[in-house]
Amino acid sequence: MAAAVERPDDRVRTAGAAKAGDLAAFETLMRQHERMVLVTALRLLGNIEDAKDASQEVFLKLHRNLGKVEAASNFSGWLYRVTVNVCHDMRRKSKASVAVEDMPEPASAEDDPHQSAAGAERRRVLQLSLRLLSEKERAALVLRDLEGLSTGEVARVLGSTEATVRSQISKARVKVREFVERYFRRRV
Amino acid sequence: MNCKDWEERIALYVGGDAAPAEATEVERHVSECAGCQVFASGMKQSMGLLREEHEEPLDEAHYAAVRARVIAEIRTERAPWRRRAWLCGLVAGAVAALVLVSVRQAPKKRVEIARVAAPQASGAAVVPAPNANPGVDRGPGGPTHIRARRPMQRRQPAETVLVKLETDNPDVVIYWIAERKGDGMND
Repeated sequence: MAAAVERPDDRVRTAGAAKAGDLAAFETLMRQHERMVLVTALRLLGNIEDAKDASQEVFLKLHRNLGKVEAASNFSGWLYRVTVNVCHDMRRKSKASVAVEDMPEPASAEDDPHQSAAGAERRRVLQLSLRLLSEKERAALVLRDLEGLSTGEVARVLGSTEATVRSQISKARVKVREFVERYFRRRV
Repeated sequence: MNCKDWEERIALYVGGDAAPAEATEVERHVSECAGCQVFASGMKQSMGLLREEHEEPLDEAHYAAVRARVIAEIRTERAPWRRRAWLCGLVAGAVAALVLVSVRQAPKKRVEIARVAAPQASGAAVVPAPNANPGVDRGPGGPTHIRARRPMQRRQPAETVLVKLETDNPDVVIYWIAERKGDGMND
C-alpha cells in the first residue's frame, strides 16, 4: 500500500515483541502507523477529537489482535479496514454533524498571513467537499485519492467490488469538483 | 452522448482508474469537446487541491496524545490481573499455612461432643458429653472418629439441631447445623 512503507520482517519482529508484552515495541508499531490511522479517521469523521478517539480504539483493537495481525501479510489493509469500521460505528452512534471549525491547524503553520489564509481555505474546501459525500463515497475517495490505495485495495478494505468502488469514486470526484468550482467562483 | 454522461468517465480517466479501452474513448472525446476539456482540467485541479491539503502534516501533539491514551489503557487492562494474581498468592499462602498448622496439631487433638436442640432465637446451650461417650471413638494416637448419636428426646418434624464440637484449643470451635426430618437426620 502506498500510504505506509512496510518492511514485513521488521514489522513481524516488532509485533511479536509487542505480543509478548513489550510496550515499547507496541509504541514503535503505533508510531509507524499513527499518521495513516489518525489522518484517515480525521477525513472520515471531520474533527480531530473524534479522530483521536477513533485512533485510540483502532490501536487498542490492534493490541488485542496482535496474534492474528502478526502473521497477516497485509498489515496496512487490516488497519485501514479497522479504522473505517471504527469511524463508521462512531458516526452511527453519535450522529454528530461534521464540524469544520474543529479542523486542526497543520504543524507547519505559515508565517505569511496570505499563505496561512490560503492554507485555511484549502482545509475548509477539503472538509466541506467531503461532507457532501455519502459515507461510502467518502471512504472510497479518502482511501483512493487521498491515501493513494489502488481501487483493488480499496475494494478489499471496504469489503466491496472494484466496479462498485470505481462507481463510488467517480461520483465522489464529480461532486467534489462541482463544489470546488462553486466555492471559488463565489469567492471571486 | 450528452457531455453530462462523460463526466464520471472523465473523473475515472483523470484519476487513472479507466480501463485502457475506455481511456482511449475519453481521450478522443475530450480532444474534440471544449466543455469536457474545461471539466477535465477542473477535475485535475480539485483532486490536486485535496491531495495537497491532505498531505499537510498534523501537529505531533495529536499523535502523542493518542499514544499516551493507548498505553495508559493497556496498562489499566493489565493491572487487574496483577492485583488478582497477588491476592490469589496471598490466599493460597494463608490456606497452606492453616493446613500445615492443623496437620501438626491433629494427633494431639481431643474432641468432645455435645449435642443440643437449638433454641429458636437464642444461642445454643452446650452440654459437655461424658468421657465414656460411646459415640466417640478415640484410639491412642490414631485418628479421631466422630459418630453422631441420636438425642433421646422426642423429635419434632423439621427440627433444627445445633452441634458444637469443642477441641482442646479454645480458639477452635466447630458448629454444625443440621435439620432433622422424621426419623432420619438430614444435614
